[in-house]
Amino acid sequence: MGDFYQTGVITTLHNLGKPSLERLETELRHYSSARPVALVLPALYSEFEGPAMPKIIEELSKVKYLQQIVLVLGKASDKEFKKARELMSPVPYEVKIIHNEGKRIHEIYDTVRRNGLDPGQDGKGRSAWLAYGYVIAEGKADVIALHDCDIVTYSRELLARLCYPVVNPNLDFVFCKGFYSRVTDRMHGRVTRLLVTPLVRSIQILQGEHRFLKFLDSFRYPLAGEFCMITDMARVNRIPWDWGLEVGSLAEVYRNYSPRRVCQVDIAATYEHKHQALSADDPEKGLMKMTVDICKSIFRTLASEGAAFSDGFFKSLAVTYLRNAEDTIMKYEADAAINGLIFDRHEEAKAVEAFTRAIGVAAKAFMDDPMGTPLIPNWSRVTSAIPGILDMLKKAVDEDNR
Amino acid sequence: MDDFLQLILEPMKEVFSKFKEFAPNILATMTILLVGILFARIMKAVLLRFLRAIKFDSWSDRMGLTVVMRKGDLWAKPSVAVGSIVFWLLLIISLLTGLSALKIHAIDNLVAQFFLYLPRAFSAVLILVFGYIIAGFIGRAVLITAVNSGYHYAKLLAEAVRLLLTVLILAMALEQLQVAPGIVVAAFSIIFGGIVLALAVSFGVGGIDAARRMIEKEEERKEVKKDIEHM
Repeated sequence: MGDFYQTGVITTLHNLGKPSLERLETELRHYSSARPVALVLPALYSEFEGPAMPKIIEELSKVKYLQQIVLVLGKASDKEFKKARELMSPVPYEVKIIHNEGKRIHEIYDTVRRNGLDPGQDGKGRSAWLAYGYVIAEGKADVIALHDCDIVTYSRELLARLCYPVVNPNLDFVFCKGFYSRVTDRMHGRVTRLLVTPLVRSIQILQGEHRFLKFLDSFRYPLAGEFCMITDMARVNRIPWDWGLEVGSLAEVYRNYSPRRVCQVDIAATYEHKHQALSADDPEKGLMKMTVDICKSIFRTLASEGAAFSDGFFKSLAVTYLRNAEDTIMKYEADAAINGLIFDRHEEAKAVEAFTRAIGVAAKAFMDDPMGTPLIPNWSRVTSAIPGILDMLKKAVDEDNR
Repeated sequence: MDDFLQLILEPMKEVFSKFKEFAPNILATMTILLVGILFARIMKAVLLRFLRAIKFDSWSDRMGLTVVMRKGDLWAKPSVAVGSIVFWLLLIISLLTGLSALKIHAIDNLVAQFFLYLPRAFSAVLILVFGYIIAGFIGRAVLITAVNSGYHYAKLLAEAVRLLLTVLILAMALEQLQVAPGIVVAAFSIIFGGIVLALAVSFGVGGIDAARRMIEKEEERKEVKKDIEHM
């Protein structure tokens, strides 16, 4: 159980006392009749063969307040697509699987491309974008929730807590992000702990207080992949297709909505999913690629807010970040010690060194091309260029699921 | 024995002479067909290049033609679809031309009928394509006007107008194709007339009170005018 401290400019919803799942789900069922909820699941076929997905399907089968599930299946053949449909069949409400590798969906991407819009590269961002398009085209859901499909510790309480703040009309939130501690016998979440937070605070030291940085720093787990939002947000928010997905999406939320209507919620006591290798020597792979993309996303968002960057700034940033991150390591070492967790200080220091190099790579990329943005256009923009695109998408998905 | 041999050889000779007579026709048919296939392929390639150059696919996307194809579960690019239609059309034409080279009376009639029907089919396609675009345009104009006028059922009204126009266009296309023209015209008249009658009745019934108020107001105005004139 955590504290009840409110962090930053957004609202934090803690896990206090012993909240009843039944009460939450009953209320959700009541509210969802007026604000129907769609659950978006970006998944790879390989995840169906892992330990997480069967558990997720079992839990989702018990959920009674969801209007529909839209699962975007990546890296799957036609045969695997059929198999995935079979595996999802125990879910007793509408499940639509988007066959990302199918010919119809490929034609949708081609249609977007030939009209001068870039649907980006394959990945979670594009999958989420496509699923939002389908939810908008269907017009059945007012709220969209999204979570990954590799959560080994999944329980339906996670989904209920994620949806509740947006589905409950009395709370008036338009966006809710999940947070949790990623702890087993040690602390995980290196990129959040040792990169994002120290970097954001270092930029604030150099640039002074900035509203976006304050907004970003308000999130306890800004890189969490679980969130819930109103469907209208899916129309107006652009989505990054690279690893800057989470930070870039938060930047879009910040741009389009007041922080007063944004919250974060404690969704799980423990959260375990697949871990990425650091790949310290290759900025095109693993956590290093993720780090570079996240840094670029932060720099570009700040630049779009009017912040000026120079070579001198980035040199100072590297030094300031390194100091901040080293201090952070000491804080976590103490935290691990009091909780009896394994803490490999050397590994943490190596990660910080790699992240410092990644900041340099991202800074160079930003200085070389400040305008280069990996954002997929929002659906509002896409439909203005191709009025029938949502009908086409709906037809493609419905035919694939026939 | 000679007579018997003659009996066998005579029909064979006859068949051979007929074949000799007919062989150039077959050769001509094959040649026409081969040239036709080659020509159709070249035309398809040229047409595809032309359609790509004028960005036909994007135009179709914006005009709603691609949506119509997708609704029919056709997932080829519009330019490729047009290219394929032209290819097959040219292939059919060359096949029929080739068959007419066989100089068989029944086939000649069929070919003549086909070529007579071609302009009708072409105009039906044009009616469908341009009709769909115009219906979409008018439907959108109705939607914008109705929304700007604060009409509550704007989308429904726009869809209804679009549907009516689509029915009209379909009837026109079928009439052009001479597909049971009597039935098409009768069915269209009944459906269209029925809708107009239903609208007229509903407007009339719904407007009884408004019409009464207007008439009463007019009468009152006349009365007041009369009174003033008396004074």
